[in-house]
Amino acid sequence: MTDWWNQGQQASHEGSDKDWAQYYQSVEAYHSQHIPLQQQQQQQAAYPGYQPTDYAAPAPWYNQPYVPPPQPPQQLPYDTREYIHPTSGSSSISSLSSHIKVIEPVAAGYNTPLNHSPNGQYADYGMRPVARRSPSVTRGVIKSVSELSIHERNGGLADMEWRNSRASQAPLYSTVKLSKISKKKPVANGVLPLVKASSLAKMVGGTKPTGSVVEAPDWPPSLKRFVERSYAACTDKQRFSLEKQLNQIISATRANKKLNIIDWDARPLPKACNPVVRPGKGVSHLKRTSVCANFDASINDFGSEERKEQRLQRFRKEAEEVKQAAHASRLATMAPVPHTGDVLNWDADTIVGTCTKLEKSYLRLTSAPDPAAVRPLPILRQTLDLLKRRWVEDSDYTYICDQLKSMRQDLTVQRITNGFTVEVYEQHARIALETNDLGEYNQCQTQLKQLYALGLPGHTMEFLAYRILYFLYTRNKSDINMALAAMSPTDKQDHVVQHALGVRHALATGNYFRYFQLYANAPNMGGYLMDNFADRERCSALQKMCRAYRPRLGLEFIAQSLAFDTTEECTKFLAELKIPVLVDGQQPTVDMKAALPCAVAAMQKYEKVDIKGQIY
Amino acid sequence: MSGADRLSQAAFKFKALHNAKNSAEFAQIVKIDSQYTTTVLRDVWNADGNWNALLTQQGTTAIGELSLMHFRTSVEFCQGNFVEAYTCQLSSYQAFLRAFSNMDRWGVHPLLAMCKDLYLLACRADYQLTSTGQPASKLEEATRAINQGFSMCMTDREPLLNISRKWGTYHLANLLFALYLRQKAFNMCNSMIRAIKTSELPSLDQFPMGDQVTFRYYRGLLAFQGEQLAAAKRDMVFALEHCHRDAYRNRTRILMRLTPIMMIEGSMPQSRLLRRYPPINELYGGLARAAMLGDLCQFDAIMQDKEQLLVSLGTYTAVEHVRRIAVRQLLYKIYLIDGKSSRLSFQRVRAGFWIAGLGDVSVLEIESILADMVSVGFIKGYLSHEHGVAVLSKQQPFPPIKSVLAASK
Repeated sequence: MTDWWNQGQQASHEGSDKDWAQYYQSVEAYHSQHIPLQQQQQQQAAYPGYQPTDYAAPAPWYNQPYVPPPQPPQQLPYDTREYIHPTSGSSSISSLSSHIKVIEPVAAGYNTPLNHSPNGQYADYGMRPVARRSPSVTRGVIKSVSELSIHERNGGLADMEWRNSRASQAPLYSTVKLSKISKKKPVANGVLPLVKASSLAKMVGGTKPTGSVVEAPDWPPSLKRFVERSYAACTDKQRFSLEKQLNQIISATRANKKLNIIDWDARPLPKACNPVVRPGKGVSHLKRTSVCANFDASINDFGSEERKEQRLQRFRKEAEEVKQAAHASRLATMAPVPHTGDVLNWDADTIVGTCTKLEKSYLRLTSAPDPAAVRPLPILRQTLDLLKRRWVEDSDYTYICDQLKSMRQDLTVQRITNGFTVEVYEQHARIALETNDLGEYNQCQTQLKQLYALGLPGHTMEFLAYRILYFLYTRNKSDINMALAAMSPTDKQDHVVQHALGVRHALATGNYFRYFQLYANAPNMGGYLMDNFADRERCSALQKMCRAYRPRLGLEFIAQSLAFDTTEECTKFLAELKIPVLVDGQQPTVDMKAALPCAVAAMQKYEKVDIKGQIY
Repeated sequence: MSGADRLSQAAFKFKALHNAKNSAEFAQIVKIDSQYTTTVLRDVWNADGNWNALLTQQGTTAIGELSLMHFRTSVEFCQGNFVEAYTCQLSSYQAFLRAFSNMDRWGVHPLLAMCKDLYLLACRADYQLTSTGQPASKLEEATRAINQGFSMCMTDREPLLNISRKWGTYHLANLLFALYLRQKAFNMCNSMIRAIKTSELPSLDQFPMGDQVTFRYYRGLLAFQGEQLAAAKRDMVFALEHCHRDAYRNRTRILMRLTPIMMIEGSMPQSRLLRRYPPINELYGGLARAAMLGDLCQFDAIMQDKEQLLVSLGTYTAVEHVRRIAVRQLLYKIYLIDGKSSRLSFQRVRAGFWIAGLGDVSVLEIESILADMVSVGFIKGYLSHEHGVAVLSKQQPFPPIKSVLAASK
């Protein structure tokens, strides 16, 4: 039998490119001696299809300084009229060089010190005065949060889109049976203490935070009965919380225009009426009070075997009850769609929450979600408004992050994917950027990418720019390549994306001046993201400057080149790198040769990027 | 002879070849477009006038099912039902894998033939599905199936190396590379390379040259994506030197990655190469000329023009590094025009940039560009900010790029 596998090594495989090394020549081959320009042009003409340079063509975008949209016209530092444009003038070298010699900068010579210009700015060198961004972008509510992200949605549209998979047939609250299912006989009025609906509505409206509850006229009679029943069933102590809950229920249903649809007679009373919401809770509650009552007595034998056994049993019982309750409620909320085959029908298993509390702290789920603890979309909308207000008022990030995470969880378990979901993730991403929580930011970013891919509206360009900047931070070269490949030409036209691409180009070509200029003028929240690798790039730029400049360099110039606001910050930065600043003359200077080893050593710690919360 | 009998006869031939371990002929007949398959199907059609025999028969053994599903695949393929053809080929392939666990080295060749058919059918099935607007996931399914065969080859525990299935590893790996790159699953490629590295395989140079070339091409490609240019160059040079002389397209593909690496190292493609490979000329010819002439404006214009193409090839960021060479050439030109003076003032450089068509570049930017050049070593000398000049060294202010890069390593 022929062995197929060793034939390949024979000479037939030897390629015809053995002499490939001669395919390439060194760059210097062109400039080994001085070639006059005319001769060069003749050489160029020898290449078919080679177009001689059209100098009149505009330079590509990455060669122009990044210009944010509203921009006053830039004054050139000297009179450029002296220049003769090569395409218009003669192209021979001698005439060109004669023109060059004529040119003298009008305003400042090269030996003018930097701070010499009359207005104290750096206008001499064509550098724009550094426009630092405001300290907080998300916090200036009126300016940014509201404009960037908060869209007022009208109710009708929201209802249409709020669940894209089954918008029409899904009931908003599945636990609430629709009126066609059953008509329970209302409880006889005589048994209950009579409460006037109008006065009740007033009372309810008084405690309402938004004050949007209207008088009774549009209430259906069944709702009035429902409120009466609730008041009758609750104790005096519970009255306050009952009012709150009623408020939330009614305003939520009103917002969704379900006021007339829900069968109020069949709806279970609010939680405040009957403390026994989940079966078994009453029991445990009693038990707990009893434990509390003789707490002093029992604290001594807390660790005893007997009590351990008791506790264990109690926990077991409670867990079982909770499980049963959850199962029952899940059955109740399930839409009547049968399972087909062995494929899990996600639409049938998707729950709709019934929780009406605005705030909820995040807890990582370990079991199936309980609808009673999940907030539906209208409540979540209110929550987001509340959180935005809270963030502006006291900006407690731990609280906000916790709340937003729980919101994201509620959205996920209810499988809500729409513009609102995008808004929540965008908000969280922005706030995370502002507080420099890159782990959370990256989670949001990953999710947003998928949401945008579904075609949901959002700030696609803004977050595309953040993603590029984030890749630059993590120095993930193959991902940058992929992101570039996935971009369309229209994406690249967007000025925010252009800024991010400009940063990429500046880093790739080692142009630290342009990089710091872009850093100072970063749009949106890009500056916060760039803060993360600003020090790294400062180090690398400083390393280059140490290699290039001799013998000394003024501190002020270094501070300006590295985009520090003040020289003090620069001094602090240099002190961290253990680079000495000399103050012998009137200007503090740095000995560049001595500083080089420090700068190289400082670069070492940036070799590896600490990536937090990396998810793909 | 009825159609059913003809099919049984064919199944018997499959079994006989299997028992005789006739690798070459077995690999030949499991191809969907083989002469033998065509003959059998023609006989069946002539006898029955329908395909009932194919549809009613049941395969009893693995090889029997393999042969039956193979003929069904061929029929569906000829009728243009690529999705059904793919499904049949998959079950045929899985029947083969069951038998493959008892085969040794001779089974590798039929495996490769079947995998290749499976791959091509999956592509066609996906094409057919997307054109009718259905979700296409056959390629992923095929990838998983081929991966099964790959791991059966790689982890073979046959003590005798001579008859081990391990000899099919690299060929299947190359097929998988193609599949993964089609799906843009770069991390899967990298994990596969890692898996091969840790497994106890014979060294790569003992494998057939075709496998070596293809494998090193893909490995170089992945190294190139991660900007590990030295490793990429090693692999690409090997692939270019040993690529089959008739495989013009493959050599072009290798050169597409090798040329940017050479350009970064300061070796520009010569007209000899550009004449022989017009696609390379199309991609890099203009860039190389612009870089050599120090024509930054032209360089940037071409980069912008070809951006989409280069990005899709994944070489855009690599070619961007060549810009530094173009800057160096431009500075050299300015230095020559300035009369080879050892003091090059920033303002002169600025004027030179203006004339080169780069617009008004601020002195600070000029300084940062010069600082970059000096720190990389393309210019020897130092900058004096106070006097606004670059003081160039007396001998070789612009050292040859190759020597600079060699020194920095």
